[in-house]
Amino acid sequence: MAKPFIVARDLSIIYNKGKSNEFKALTGVNTDIYEGEYIILFGPSGCGKSTLMYSIQGSLPPGEGTLLVKGDDVYSYPPSERVYFQRYMMGIIFQSFNLIGSLSVLDNVALPMIFCNADRSTRERRAQSLLDRFGVGHVSHKIPAMLSGGQQQRVSVARSMVNDPKILLADEPTGNLDSVSTQQVMDKIDEINTFDRRTIIMVSHNAAHLSYAHRVYYLKDGRIMREVVNPQRKQIKPVREGETIVTELEQLARLYPYDSVETWRVKSMVNFLTQDYTFDQIGRLEHSVDLFLQGRIDRDSFIKSLILPMERGGVEVTEKVARHMTSVVEKVIDTADDIRRFRAHKDNDAIFFTQDKLADRMQEHLAREHRIKMSKQQEANMTELIADRVTGVVDQTALNERLMQGVRSKGLGLSEAEADDMTRYFEKVIAQGVDVSYK
Amino acid sequence: MRVQDLAQLSTRMFKTNPLRTWLTILGMGVGTAAVVVLVGLGFGLQQIILEQIVFGDSLLSLGVSSTGATGPKLTPETVQRIEQNEAVVDAAPLARFNALITYNGLTGKVAVQGVEPPYLSFAGVTATYGEVFGPDDLDDTTSVMLSPATLKLFGIADEDAESFVGERVVFRLLVEADDGSEDVNEILIDKQYIVRGITKEAGVLNAMMMLPELRNYVGIEEYERIQVNVIDNENLPLVEEALIEQGFRVTALSKTVEQASQIFQGIQAVLATFGGIALIVSAIGMFNTMTVTLLERTKEIGIMRTIGASPNDVKYLFVSESIVVGFLGGVTGILMGVTFGLAINLFLNIVAGQFGGQAVSLFSFPLDFLAFIAIFSAGVGYLTGIFPARRASSLNPLDAIRYE
Repeated sequence: MAKPFIVARDLSIIYNKGKSNEFKALTGVNTDIYEGEYIILFGPSGCGKSTLMYSIQGSLPPGEGTLLVKGDDVYSYPPSERVYFQRYMMGIIFQSFNLIGSLSVLDNVALPMIFCNADRSTRERRAQSLLDRFGVGHVSHKIPAMLSGGQQQRVSVARSMVNDPKILLADEPTGNLDSVSTQQVMDKIDEINTFDRRTIIMVSHNAAHLSYAHRVYYLKDGRIMREVVNPQRKQIKPVREGETIVTELEQLARLYPYDSVETWRVKSMVNFLTQDYTFDQIGRLEHSVDLFLQGRIDRDSFIKSLILPMERGGVEVTEKVARHMTSVVEKVIDTADDIRRFRAHKDNDAIFFTQDKLADRMQEHLAREHRIKMSKQQEANMTELIADRVTGVVDQTALNERLMQGVRSKGLGLSEAEADDMTRYFEKVIAQGVDVSYK
Repeated sequence: MRVQDLAQLSTRMFKTNPLRTWLTILGMGVGTAAVVVLVGLGFGLQQIILEQIVFGDSLLSLGVSSTGATGPKLTPETVQRIEQNEAVVDAAPLARFNALITYNGLTGKVAVQGVEPPYLSFAGVTATYGEVFGPDDLDDTTSVMLSPATLKLFGIADEDAESFVGERVVFRLLVEADDGSEDVNEILIDKQYIVRGITKEAGVLNAMMMLPELRNYVGIEEYERIQVNVIDNENLPLVEEALIEQGFRVTALSKTVEQASQIFQGIQAVLATFGGIALIVSAIGMFNTMTVTLLERTKEIGIMRTIGASPNDVKYLFVSESIVVGFLGGVTGILMGVTFGLAINLFLNIVAGQFGGQAVSLFSFPLDFLAFIAIFSAGVGYLTGIFPARRASSLNPLDAIRYE
């Protein structure tokens, strides 16, 4: 059985020991990290995840406990010798890139090799090939300040790999990046793990990244709260029988990474009580609805994706249910479109539909959906009410109350159950039809 | 880290922070320039005095003269007696008579000195223009050397002195009568002497010819002065003592030189102290700059340390940077100081030329002194850099990288 590459035993790190501001950043941490693993240290700010990473890196000597990298206690060497170990063992990338502004991109990447006495042509060839590999070869003679954040981070990834280290440490590498750059950088790091077979230890608090890792250590207040194995990746760490059974909790851990185990147990139970579908089915359904709402699949494809069995990537519901769901979604979308038009025409009366016409249509749709026969007066009141709600004059609670008020006081005189039903439905429509944007 | 990479990394400040770097260099430069100018002044003064008196054999020679009317006289026998001393290589006498010199119808009074060629080298007599009597010129009967002041008698300006070499002059010797009266006999030397050289002896009216030639016209029983050449330095005081015991007055050039040197070393030390204070002030300024640079670079140090720079790499970076600044400061200072000194020299020469005085070099900058200053300023750079560098290298990389 393979031996773990990095072993921490009862690792504790205390800042300002013996002073009034003493602070225990890590307490009794035990980890086993195997060669080639992709590990994410996950947790809120101040949980000690960076502390653990820098301790592995060799910059934070443990107060108590031991830390072995490749069977060697790095902290038994003085800093001047520890660095020889770090050069060929660790590459590091930072949230803030930390490129040196007075050196060209090429020199930045070659810098670790300069400290290793590599001659100029060797290191420049190596640096350039890495820059090319990470898609920033064309900017190698610029200074870092002239690059975008995503480019700078890819340069920094190239720098971390220039001495071909065994371990790549990443301290929130995408914390300062936009989503496109984040994706590029995460893909490159993933490639380093899967293609170059390097061990990755990443500090992150972005739950979206968890699926990249083999295992995730959840930290809180300086302790490892739990270790979650990613079932989607083939594990490198030897799994002992019965130790890790893939549970619904692990699934929930990825869906709700910030919640505690207790909360997941609650969620699991509530899901069972209120819904007929599993978390897997809900996940698939969410994906299909997403595509349908965006218009990227048509009605038939949507129905098909709902009917398809689980093992073929579908939600696995009956055709009847699928058709019902589709018609509900379509109706909501249609009405939501009316709301959008109504709000768009707030200031200028439309060419095709006036606001009154749109409100009328929505009123008719609601009445038909809920099978309520109304008098002329009720219809007029309802049209007005809908207009008020859509323009935001009244809120959800007021809408519900008005629906129950007498016809004379501009209400509809519905029963409480009818009013609740209609409010719920209309709020769903509004949720689809009102753009949420910050101007 | 390789030296060329170290050089490249430690000269980045010229690109990233040119103004501050050059100001620091200028600060060091002004301090160094103060040292260069003041010590250069010391060298200059020393040289002005010493270059007149220090020549070859002259350091190993003693000047012997009579103590006065009551003391023993310097006669040819005295010369022989002195030469019998084993520590004495040679003794060369000088006889002196007053004379009238005539050139182009102008006549003035000078002292004619009859010497043998060795006397010239023992006494350190040299020529500004023309040539000195050489060892083979003992039998020369046709030429004389004149002191510069003699030319003034004939209204020859300094700048025309060179062309006076080769001119012809006539002497009439003024010899005191043998009978003890105060009468003076005038002996005309009926020939024209060619001026072969102009000596450097300032302020005296002298003409020098060979002793045998002088003997042709006047009997010489008594010498004015004997120049004694001694084997080596150790014997100098012994011979000197022996001569003093015989009742002569002895002057040793080496002693004068030694005393002058001591005085000038003292003067130089004082001047160097003042310059040194200026240098210390600028070194403190540079130290301050290096410390600020350290703070500014803290994050960069952290980055370098986490990507594989050893503490020593960081230290070398800082030290070499300050050595570069110190050395360039030294070079700048040398340029400023030498330029200043030479400008003053030039100014003095012009002024001296205008007022008819003798041109002097008040400042002198020996090359080895300048080389020493350049190396010394690099050393000062090293000293100002070493403490910030030590601090930089001992920073915890993690604290450093988080430093804003």
